[in-house]
Amino acid sequence: MFERLRRKPPESESTDEELHRSALAGCGEAMAALYKRHGGLVYRFTLRMSGNPSVAEEITQEVFLALLTQIDRFDATRGSLSTWLCGIARRKLWKHLEHRKDALFDFDGDAAAELRCTKDGPAELLLRQEAVFAVRAGMDELPPLLREVVILCALEEMSYEQVARILAVPVGTVRSRLHRAKARLAGLLGAEMADTEGEPR
Amino acid sequence: MTDEQLDEVLEELGREHRAISAPDSLQRVLYTAAESRKSASGKPRLQFPLAWVAVAILLVVVTVAGAIWRSIQTHQPQTQQAHSGPAPKVSPRPRQSSPVATPRSVGPKAERVRAAVKARAPLRPSSPPDAPTPSSLDTFVPLPASERLPTAAELSIVRIRLRGSDLQQYGLQTPADALAQTMLAEFAVGEDGLPRAIRIVR
Repeated sequence: MFERLRRKPPESESTDEELHRSALAGCGEAMAALYKRHGGLVYRFTLRMSGNPSVAEEITQEVFLALLTQIDRFDATRGSLSTWLCGIARRKLWKHLEHRKDALFDFDGDAAAELRCTKDGPAELLLRQEAVFAVRAGMDELPPLLREVVILCALEEMSYEQVARILAVPVGTVRSRLHRAKARLAGLLGAEMADTEGEPR
Repeated sequence: MTDEQLDEVLEELGREHRAISAPDSLQRVLYTAAESRKSASGKPRLQFPLAWVAVAILLVVVTVAGAIWRSIQTHQPQTQQAHSGPAPKVSPRPRQSSPVATPRSVGPKAERVRAAVKARAPLRPSSPPDAPTPSSLDTFVPLPASERLPTAAELSIVRIRLRGSDLQQYGLQTPADALAQTMLAEFAVGEDGLPRAIRIVR
């Protein structure tokens, strides 16, 4: 009975807009609640795109601080807060990647090492797990334009419309990029699997 | 690898991907950033209404002062009243001294007033036929009501605009046609603030 009467914390009931307003008014708890709600999405996206946890953390922090500084930029009628945050994260990420052009196609050495690991001992691993590793490594081989579509559509399970809003492109472009990304991924993985199968034991 | 296999793998990878959560260390940073905003934005928010309150108070003060000044301006031509203290300021005429109390030289007008007061002293309010009328008030005549008052040591001339009907309260007779008329009268007022004599200026 007492459990039923206990009130939920206001952060869990409030909408994004209410929390945003409270955060702007200086409520730290509202800001923390917004971070709990959307921080994971922003961090995962930046982590998967950059392959660097410290870069992902830095960009995530900048994105949420933008919530406090770029007040007039967010328009709730044009899209959800998560979409807006992802859009900011993407712009900051691209700026970061432009500074490190070498990182565009050569990052996540750990994943490559894992992939090499699977090559070394495929018999010790389940085929499924091997495929997951291979896809993860294959994703890192994709160009960022295609990779971000795979992350948002396939991994985050966002709708095409949401992704189109984040990338600021038409929905048709999202579809075609995803199609191209999957075809390229399948090609990369097919080659990897063929290499693995062809290796002498 | 077929498309279906790829989708299955991506689905599994997605589950693994979504299990990643944002680092807790950022939560503290953002909490602090939002809280610092409260203290930073607190001062302007406080100052803004205070400034408006100050402006509103100033406006009210100016409005009230204007209204008072306007009312003074409208009453000034009609009523010029002076008490014993500030009499010279209100009345353009100089303060007069009684020859009884102060034998110093006084103005001829004050002399005339006192002479009139002495001459008409026997007048009583109980004798209406003898009461002066506005037409006979070209010079100062003592007021019947001031008959029992002590002799004033100092007289002040106070000019007042009043109606003919107002003269009756001083024990003066007023013709019926002059009741509604407005006239300018001069009162000789003693230092006790009570009128002793009256004269109709016009």
